[in-house]
Amino acid sequence: MKTLPSIGKRLANALLTWSVLSTVVVVAAVWLAVHEEVDELLDETLQATAEVLMIPLQSTVILSAESSLEKISSPPSKGNFAWQVINYNTDKPAQVLRGSIHAPLDALHEAPLPGFGNTPAWRTYGVAVSSPNRMLYVAQTNKERSEAQLEVALGAALASLAIALLAHVWLRTRARHELQPLQTLAEKLANYDALAPAASLGMPEREELMPVHTSIDILTQGLARRVAHERAFAAHAAHALRTPLAGIDAQLAVALRECPPHLSQRLQNVRTASARLQRVVTALLSLFRSGMNLQRQTLMGDSWLSQMPMEGLTIQTNITQPLSADLDLLEAAMLNLLDNALRYGARNVMVSTPAVNTLRLSDDGPGVSAQRYLQLQQALDTQSYEGHTGLGLMLADMVARAHGGRLTLPAAKQGFAVEIQLS
Amino acid sequence: MRLLLLEDDHILGEGLRDFLRTEGHTVDWCQNLERARALATEPYDAWLVDWQLPDGSGLEWLQARRARGDTTPALILTARDLLAQRVQGLDSGADDYLVKPFAPEELSARLRAVCRRSAGSAGTVLNFGAVQVDLTARSCRLNGRRVEITAREWAVLEALALRPGCIVPKADLERLVMGFDAEISSNALEVHVSSLRRKLGRELIETVRGLGYCIGKIE
Repeated sequence: MKTLPSIGKRLANALLTWSVLSTVVVVAAVWLAVHEEVDELLDETLQATAEVLMIPLQSTVILSAESSLEKISSPPSKGNFAWQVINYNTDKPAQVLRGSIHAPLDALHEAPLPGFGNTPAWRTYGVAVSSPNRMLYVAQTNKERSEAQLEVALGAALASLAIALLAHVWLRTRARHELQPLQTLAEKLANYDALAPAASLGMPEREELMPVHTSIDILTQGLARRVAHERAFAAHAAHALRTPLAGIDAQLAVALRECPPHLSQRLQNVRTASARLQRVVTALLSLFRSGMNLQRQTLMGDSWLSQMPMEGLTIQTNITQPLSADLDLLEAAMLNLLDNALRYGARNVMVSTPAVNTLRLSDDGPGVSAQRYLQLQQALDTQSYEGHTGLGLMLADMVARAHGGRLTLPAAKQGFAVEIQLS
Repeated sequence: MRLLLLEDDHILGEGLRDFLRTEGHTVDWCQNLERARALATEPYDAWLVDWQLPDGSGLEWLQARRARGDTTPALILTARDLLAQRVQGLDSGADDYLVKPFAPEELSARLRAVCRRSAGSAGTVLNFGAVQVDLTARSCRLNGRRVEITAREWAVLEALALRPGCIVPKADLERLVMGFDAEISSNALEVHVSSLRRKLGRELIETVRGLGYCIGKIE
């Protein structure tokens, strides 16, 4: 059977997809914001630092052109921040006058660069000190800036992922909880006896299920009415058909005893036809009820077969396995199969039980051709009775199916064989 | 046997009545419960009762008769064939239950079986000393030799044989043998009893003065 899509699984997949996508989008958005804002913040820090350093540097002698490079001591740090004071003369290379302890020995820039600038290792901010040829550079390592950006972005991403994960778990639990009423409805329907008096599913657990409950209740009421009508019809039909048939047979039995000899055979023929009509009517009436509850009973031995003698047909039995069947229906099927055998030229029928709940009839008639055999079996398999099988096989198959089984045509060396499999 | 047939369908009722008559039975046929209530006071060997009748339920009528202590053997003839219905029919006091359509020959055989059981015998041949009464073959033998008797004589013998050891009042026996509607001559019964005694032995049928006739218990 083809696997159908599951609402629960589809919802779970949708939630998972949504969680992953939302995490990616949030991380990207955070990364962009962090990259921009952290960069700006760090630049402003460089700018502010330069402004703070400008005040002492402008008034002190340490910036005299003649003084040599001197490292100014500072509180312990990791060396991610530095500053340099550089003197630029057109005829000389840039001269670093002063610098912080972690500042590089070479000038950060070979030419004066006011404002923000970049070197491979540093982000700088330069301002002129005292004269345009003397620049103060405050610098921060690019590595430190990247680390700061990465830490902020990673923190934001982890927070976003945690929220998405929690949302996923919570929504999945919620979805399962919300789908539970569907499961409850399915269980109710599995045990639902639509023909029980005042059958109803009751109030639904969710508003959305109200149309389903209403539809099932309407269907139930319709089905109950239909079944009630059919039962009433079956009861009336049984009386209307059975009584006249009994009357015909009684009248014929009397007529046979009273008639002149030359009419005897004709009357006997009429009575035989009447008996066949009785069997068909009985089978049809039994079959009509087959949709109702089966009255199963365990049949052991062949005593039940003795109730269906058929003139002109010798029935032998080899019943070794028990049968669980509705006796009325089984008799109806058997009568029609025996009638078939008789009409198609059989004189002897063997009734056996090759397995539990399986009844086989094998006759000594002429049988059917291989092609006809295949046609019959196919018609039985697909329940395409009309135009393909006779009434006997159709009734027997329907009786077998009413028991949860089916009718099959096993291969027979001689004659025709049919097997009623009851589940 | 004298039978009360309660069947509203004319074709079936008439057919069964005529068939059973050809079997040598006396049949009173009525088509409604009102008539059945009037006839049920008469002695019958068996009742054949349809379940569904125009003026009520044959089953309820049977239950009412059983409640009054009437043990006349009864067969239900009906189109109702469900297991629950068959159980209900038998539990209501019926001795047998026959679903329509049925062959009248089967009805006749079941009737004989029910009456045999009612008489206390499972076999089809009842033995009264040297006399054997075969209810199926409708024949009798004396010391193993077949004795020819008339239909009326058989009716008297069968009526008494089905009630072994019981005194059957003369009036009841007349009605059992002749039927409700038949004209009975004043000494017809005595003629038949006398003839049976002549053919089967004087000791077979005992006259209980002032009460009726009796046949000995089955051996």
